[in-house]
Amino acid sequence: MVRLSVDIGGTFTDIVLDVDGELSSIKILSSPLAPEQAAIEGLLRLLSSRRVPLQSVRTIIHGTTLATNALIERRGAKTAFVTTKGFRDVLEMRNEKRFEQYALNISLPEPLVPRDLRLPLDERILADGSVMRAPCHRDIGDIAQRLREREVEAVAVGFLHSYRNPSHEALVAERLRAALPPHVTVCQSAEVANEIREYDRFSTVCANAYVRPLMSHYLERLDNALREHGFSGALLLMLSGGGLTTVQQAAKTPIRLIESGPAGGVALAAKISREIGSNRTMSLDIGGTTAKICFIQDGKPQTSRRFEVARAWRNVKGSGLPVRVPTVEMIEIGAGGGSIAGVDALGRLSVGPQSAGSQPGPAAYNLGGEAATITDAQLTVGNIAADGFADGMIELAPERGAAAISSQVKEPLGLSSVEAAASGIIELADEAMANAARIHSIELGLDVREFDLLVSGGGGAVHGARIAEKLGIRRMIVPMNAGVGSAVGFLYTPVAYEMAISVMEPLAAVDPAGINQRVQKALLDILAIVEKAGSAGQVTRKGVAELRYSGHGLDLSIEFDLTAEMGRTLSGLAPKFTKKFKDLHGFSLGDIPIELIALSISASSNESRSDHTGTTESSDQSDETMRAVYDLQGDAKTHYRVRSRRSFGNGELLSGPAIVTEPQTTTLVRPGWSVTRQDNGHLILERTAS
Amino acid sequence: MISDHDIVALNVLWNRLVSVCEEQANALMRSAFGAIVREAGDLSAGVFDVHGDMLAQAVTGTPGHVNTMAASVRMMLDHIPPDTLKPGDALITNDPWIGAGHVFDFVVVTPAFLDGRIVGYLAATSHVVDVGGRGWSAEARSVFEEGTIIPVSMLRRQGTLNDDILAIVATNSRVPHEARGDILSLLVSNDTGIDRLLDLMSEYDLKGLSGISKFIFDRSEAATAAALSEVKAGTYSASLNLDGYDAPIELRARLTVGDGRIEVDLAGCSDAVPRGINCPLNYSAAYAAFGIRALLTPTIPNNRGSLSAISVSAPPGLVVSAERPMPVTARHVVGQALPDLMLGCLAHALPGKVLAESSGALWTMAISGAGATNFTSLNVALGGMGARPGQDGLSTTAFPSGVGAVPVEVAEVAAPLIYHSKEFAPDSGGGGQFRGGLGQRIAVGSRLNEDMTLSAAAFERLKSGPAGRDGGAAGAPGHVEITNGTVINDKGNYRVPAGESVILQTPGGGGIGDPQLRDRAALATDIAQGLVTESAARRLYQSAHHQQEENSK
Repeated sequence: MVRLSVDIGGTFTDIVLDVDGELSSIKILSSPLAPEQAAIEGLLRLLSSRRVPLQSVRTIIHGTTLATNALIERRGAKTAFVTTKGFRDVLEMRNEKRFEQYALNISLPEPLVPRDLRLPLDERILADGSVMRAPCHRDIGDIAQRLREREVEAVAVGFLHSYRNPSHEALVAERLRAALPPHVTVCQSAEVANEIREYDRFSTVCANAYVRPLMSHYLERLDNALREHGFSGALLLMLSGGGLTTVQQAAKTPIRLIESGPAGGVALAAKISREIGSNRTMSLDIGGTTAKICFIQDGKPQTSRRFEVARAWRNVKGSGLPVRVPTVEMIEIGAGGGSIAGVDALGRLSVGPQSAGSQPGPAAYNLGGEAATITDAQLTVGNIAADGFADGMIELAPERGAAAISSQVKEPLGLSSVEAAASGIIELADEAMANAARIHSIELGLDVREFDLLVSGGGGAVHGARIAEKLGIRRMIVPMNAGVGSAVGFLYTPVAYEMAISVMEPLAAVDPAGINQRVQKALLDILAIVEKAGSAGQVTRKGVAELRYSGHGLDLSIEFDLTAEMGRTLSGLAPKFTKKFKDLHGFSLGDIPIELIALSISASSNESRSDHTGTTESSDQSDETMRAVYDLQGDAKTHYRVRSRRSFGNGELLSGPAIVTEPQTTTLVRPGWSVTRQDNGHLILERTAS
Repeated sequence: MISDHDIVALNVLWNRLVSVCEEQANALMRSAFGAIVREAGDLSAGVFDVHGDMLAQAVTGTPGHVNTMAASVRMMLDHIPPDTLKPGDALITNDPWIGAGHVFDFVVVTPAFLDGRIVGYLAATSHVVDVGGRGWSAEARSVFEEGTIIPVSMLRRQGTLNDDILAIVATNSRVPHEARGDILSLLVSNDTGIDRLLDLMSEYDLKGLSGISKFIFDRSEAATAAALSEVKAGTYSASLNLDGYDAPIELRARLTVGDGRIEVDLAGCSDAVPRGINCPLNYSAAYAAFGIRALLTPTIPNNRGSLSAISVSAPPGLVVSAERPMPVTARHVVGQALPDLMLGCLAHALPGKVLAESSGALWTMAISGAGATNFTSLNVALGGMGARPGQDGLSTTAFPSGVGAVPVEVAEVAAPLIYHSKEFAPDSGGGGQFRGGLGQRIAVGSRLNEDMTLSAAAFERLKSGPAGRDGGAAGAPGHVEITNGTVINDKGNYRVPAGESVILQTPGGGGIGDPQLRDRAALATDIAQGLVTESAARRLYQSAHHQQEENSK
């Protein structure tokens, strides 16, 4: 089977070709004005170099950051918002919260729809879904007239309690579609994010409407261009929740594509965790400016329905636009190779979140950057070598890095050597990443010590072992091809779709027949979407109930059988919830009523089978060299054996201190660790010290 | 001579201690009952050294909790001396004068033992939904009516829970299980923190925390002193008038800066009143210090080193230094006005660098059923923040509190209410070169067409709006009325008859600078967006607006 994946980022477009499990790839510059051009050019080049005709490609899987970038750069459509009278400022009041206690100068993002385009309509649905006031036709007509006059390109419709009763939204959307020119997009909040909390839902529908004209035109152009070049297979889009969907569905809710790139990276990590039989994996991707952490259990990444895009203030949580769509749950920390180290006003060592990026980059890049960065520190202690850095694409000047560290860190901290300062920078960065992982695991109710660490990105394998030590993790995986990243992950993603149904009722009071009706309707919609995507394999359906003690803050998810009788399902939830709560907290709360918050329904086809073939390498120790690496603890240099990954044979065991090099990264096997190479090409590091 | 390794270790350890508190706070937040704890982070968590001095606290946390807790631990150890403590013990209290200023806030302190010796303490505070008494209202005449008080006691002895304490709280609470759960959450979160603290000590092979304590305190003290020395030495005064319960209250401060320290004297404030809006001195000091630190040392973490540079004093018996048994439930009415008072003093020392007055105390919207259906709904109605130097004030955003509002849909699911509207109140932001944040107008009534009771305990600044600065105008005062014509003019409880609604308009923030200097494009946008009306623009921004019209001709 022949498949292609295309990942379009702001700078690069990655394309991977999969011919019966054998992968090849190409990386070219993106063409932001017409992103499909670089994609088409790149995939034709890759196909011709492999002598594969486009006609023989069965599936093309595509992920893109275009929607995200349009929101960040505010390049979306002129959008209006029709909402319940009395509530047009919900979009601007947000959660009415300062996200930083001590910062008095915070700024908030401009709402996507300005106040004069937020049009109130006299209608009201109550919390139980009953109609207090139906919208009148004349009012809808007046609004349509104003929308025509203002020449809007997109309209979002969001009414209070529409997650419970969407009829007013549906009615108004239908009338507006009829009354407005055909190019005007109309979106309903309950269709995009069927959940309680008006601000989050309204924000999501406005973001969707805002990017929809741009995204639907783009997808149409891409699809047409592919067909013109002879492609006759299925074009599928990567969703931020880690599933695939059709072009038609993607064009309808483009907001669900928002984090598709990172979701692809996590999909790859999930695939590898299944391959090596790790049922608890923490994936850590350390790039140039940030590190991303995601927890994977039984081969499935953690997902949530909360995400924030286009943060307006120092990338601080709470300063962006919330979108409530299924997303791979990931935290991002401002620590990567380019993160800048220095000394703060308190005379403390600090690392990040500011980054020198790749332009001008770390001081050692010698491209005009003056700041001391993590990469400079790695070079200074000897963890990475200047020769062959980034596959020889960047020629390093390590002495510039050392000089930057000396003046910006060593002197102000009063340290005696530049190596000690560099060590301190790395130790603090490792500390920050380990802390973030620990706190995130607590939020998710997981014990990080039970996980394996799977590293990726240019920096993952250098930092990994020390972070694992800090977290009490004893096994670390450095996968094959970790550099190709997201685009490869797309190939291992199942066709899937998920919807949530808000309930917010005491579990004991939920009407099984009523809820079953809503579940079945959602399931039909989801199956239609999944089946349309031409999934060949068997379709798995999954139901998850979100429950909590009434008034309590913690929602716990309990999986349930969608084929079972609803009454029985509901009565089985309470004991499972109580047990799970007790496992997490050590106590349960007796007879406090349990609330059913929401049901989440999803369907997915089985993963596209396309295992890449393992390679067998024979051991070749002739290229072994030695490198002196500075060690802070003993204030001395330790000698590390250095081997290239190419020469490292299957089954060979190397004890730390050792270094394994490859074109895009370096694996640091610290003292107390050993490394082996598996048949599938992945390196496995084990902690041998107690 | 301290080695390179030790210098680096100290830097890393400081980060780790903050992380320990974050984990502790996260554990608490995910298991708390009150929406106010969960949604708004009305809690705090911290690590203390062997002397009971605060080393680090979670970034999450309200000033009222954080800065009071810094003193709570020592006071609790005065009651139960450290040499009587054993591994597995934990202390508790909700005494307003030891904890966080009212009976709802519980503090739990747990000693951390290493090799049989105490090496430090973990402490956590959070708001428990109900502990009996009158519940949320300012009507109590003494603290004895406000709820059950647990003196400093052992919540756990050598690992065995003291069920008597939990039973006393539960028996006196309208929501017994929630109250019990919230207290257990405090205990569990401290245990989480202790595990992490001991992990860290083992990783760095530490026998005690004195080395890291000294490093943290020295650095924080030095940085604080350096920041305070940027302020011209001298004594600065300011005053501020509050509506009070039913008669005006005056708050007066003299703030003295010098030698890297700030001393605040609140002696000029009004006497305590016989209703529950008084503030114990610990809570007053917490908010006064917050206002000063947010302006002058926002990036220096909270610990003994940074907090000890600021001292707050007042003779006993004032509204800012109420003594037992004065009632204190709505102590934030006074406490949360103190940051504005501190900023008023500092504006004399730092002209052009200080934000205008904000709407101040959180308007707690406590509505309960007074008809056939029993319910209680707690939400907040937020006013505008004062204009900031170079920036407009944030609309409908609390300052100094960081608490956000409960979404309308959630509030309507939780209680039989209908919010008829919730929108910006045009013209409520004080005019100025930089405009104050807008207040909002909320109309709310019963879904069941039944009588309701409204507590007006925290509706402050109904008589005069937050003041502007440097020629900026005051924000609009708040206004609350019931559709039957009743205008709320004190902090009592009000009946909302069936069929009627409450209409609240929260105060707007004060403006900064002469309105004539306002950027014309910014004014035009405000008018186009309906945030400033044409008539107000003529009145307030006359010549700027006039000029703009001239130009557009």
